[in-house]
Amino acid sequence: MASSIGDALSPAVRAVWWTPARRLQGLWVALLAIAAAALAIGAVAIPLFSLIDGSASLLQRTLFTEIRLPRVLLAGVAGAGLGLAGAALQGLFRNPLADPGLIGVSGGAAVGAIAMIVFGSAVALPESFSFYAMPIAAVTGASLATGFLLVFSRVFGHFSVVTMLLVGVALNALATVVIGAFQYLSDDAQLRTLTFWMMGSFGRATWPALWPALMLMVLSAAVLLRKSRALDLLQLGESEARALGIDTVRLKWQVVLCAATVVGAGVALSGIVAFVGLVVPHLVRLFIGANHSLVLPGSTLLGAALAICADLVARTVVVPAELPVGLVTSAIGAPFFLYLIARVRPV
Amino acid sequence: MRRTTCRKAFSPGSIRRWVIAFVAVMPLLPSAAGAVTQSCDPVEDSGRIAAAGGSITEIIYLLGEQERLVAVDTTSVFPPEAMQRFPSLGYVRNLSAEGLVAMSPTLILGEEDMGPDEVLTQLGRLGVTSVRLAEDPSAAGIIEKVRCVAGIIGKAPLAQAKIDADLQSKLTALDALPTPDRPARVALLLGIRDGVPLAAGSGTSGDGLLRMVRAQNVFADVSGWKPVSMESMAAMQPDIIVVPNRGANAEGGVEGFAAHPAIRLTPAAQRGRIIAMDGMAILGFGPRTLDAALTLSRRIDGALNAASDGD
Repeated sequence: MASSIGDALSPAVRAVWWTPARRLQGLWVALLAIAAAALAIGAVAIPLFSLIDGSASLLQRTLFTEIRLPRVLLAGVAGAGLGLAGAALQGLFRNPLADPGLIGVSGGAAVGAIAMIVFGSAVALPESFSFYAMPIAAVTGASLATGFLLVFSRVFGHFSVVTMLLVGVALNALATVVIGAFQYLSDDAQLRTLTFWMMGSFGRATWPALWPALMLMVLSAAVLLRKSRALDLLQLGESEARALGIDTVRLKWQVVLCAATVVGAGVALSGIVAFVGLVVPHLVRLFIGANHSLVLPGSTLLGAALAICADLVARTVVVPAELPVGLVTSAIGAPFFLYLIARVRPV
Repeated sequence: MRRTTCRKAFSPGSIRRWVIAFVAVMPLLPSAAGAVTQSCDPVEDSGRIAAAGGSITEIIYLLGEQERLVAVDTTSVFPPEAMQRFPSLGYVRNLSAEGLVAMSPTLILGEEDMGPDEVLTQLGRLGVTSVRLAEDPSAAGIIEKVRCVAGIIGKAPLAQAKIDADLQSKLTALDALPTPDRPARVALLLGIRDGVPLAAGSGTSGDGLLRMVRAQNVFADVSGWKPVSMESMAAMQPDIIVVPNRGANAEGGVEGFAAHPAIRLTPAAQRGRIIAMDGMAILGFGPRTLDAALTLSRRIDGALNAASDGD
């Protein structure tokens, strides 16, 4: 989207006016437009103006505030979290393939959340705490997986692309094993919940479940977004970054914990939504710029826009049923990514 | 300066403060209201029904009230008309709140496994009544389900008439089945999944069906639907294997199913005692499951007798 506007402009205008900052603003505009469209479109017709001038029925009003708004919000923050975590982890590991899904972070979150689905009912939690249990369990799982990666990378000094992918394969395999064991232990009803949860959906957003995850995500996203300069310096190499005054150990743990939190809190509510974390930072680097001060906010915005868009498709194509949103993100993300690789020289 | 702020935000003392603040506000946050009821009392308005569960659709058709249906789920395969005539809600466990509301139902009637719960909570907030029916995989449970659905939609007398005219006699026939001294050892398999059979353990609809026909479930010791190894298949020595048509067809029909490595070594396969039946009829636990159970009982007797003649 940003590229087509950019391409249409003459090179001179492009250099002076279509600056990276303006491109980021363009992304804001696109995100708001997509969010507005997602709020306006759905199985039940709700004209947005009718909500403002008060002509909407009570049903339309409640449907908007209790179902559509939390759903779009969850899609937005979960997508933003995946995009931001993808960008931060790619920067941290200095590795373009560090996607939360590929390297096992989402898998770790899934293990945590599934453990809570299967064993949570055995541990009698007070009702007001039950909404926190899933995000906390998922964040713990994601943190363990990311922490393991970090410790592993310390042992090896620096990760090559291949090593990271192989460790990711191993971590994902481990997650699959644990999930498989949980599936074996779970009863019929839990099993069916698990299966659909694994496919990903933003349809389960309710305000009480959304608040705790939202708080966790906003807090960690705020920390991650402040790490752009440190991540830029880290690209020079670890000893160079240290020489320039970056406490690399602290930086690594902060990024790992915060990335795990934004991914985990999202995964706890939406299940696994593939491809956002990998594709989004690359698109931002291609069309906006490679500085982390651009990549981090850009990936946050674009991740949110992509997830909202995918959810819009998922819930409107087979009304009154809906598609798993992970199916849609992969269907949009994978071919688009291939097209980009074929068309644009990587920056 | 920026870095000091971050450090502060992550110092142990400040994390503790965050956690305390977090825990303190938890009870203040709104919690979900229970929206689903499980009673069989008539509801206020049952004029537009979304049916989430094959047996519920079947019962509504049995009562002749299909004009009230506005949508059915993907397990509503009987009568075949239902799926063609009404929009699909998708799978009963994976309903979509807004999609459902778009059908403007006044009542959502669902089986025990209807979900996800969050979606039912959302629907409750929109003022749509949902009723979840208790699952009891037995002959009496089927009759009770018919009574319950009829009660909810205000057709209790009609249901009683249907039960008296037809269903009660089938229940009596099933109750009258003799309990053999040595009941047939039966395995009920959904099919072969990833190379291993998926067997009905205790607490499943499959186990309920085997109880109805007085057979002994060889996998009664495991709970739920579980994959079982080839060796334990052979070790359990089932005299008879019951499988839905779909499960058998996936292996190329009953012969192909019997030849599968996991099945081949069982007495059931070696003596040709594999019974394939309509899966939703035997496991859906709607009214026609009564017929299916009677048929299954006859086929089990037939298979055992034919085999003993041959021995």
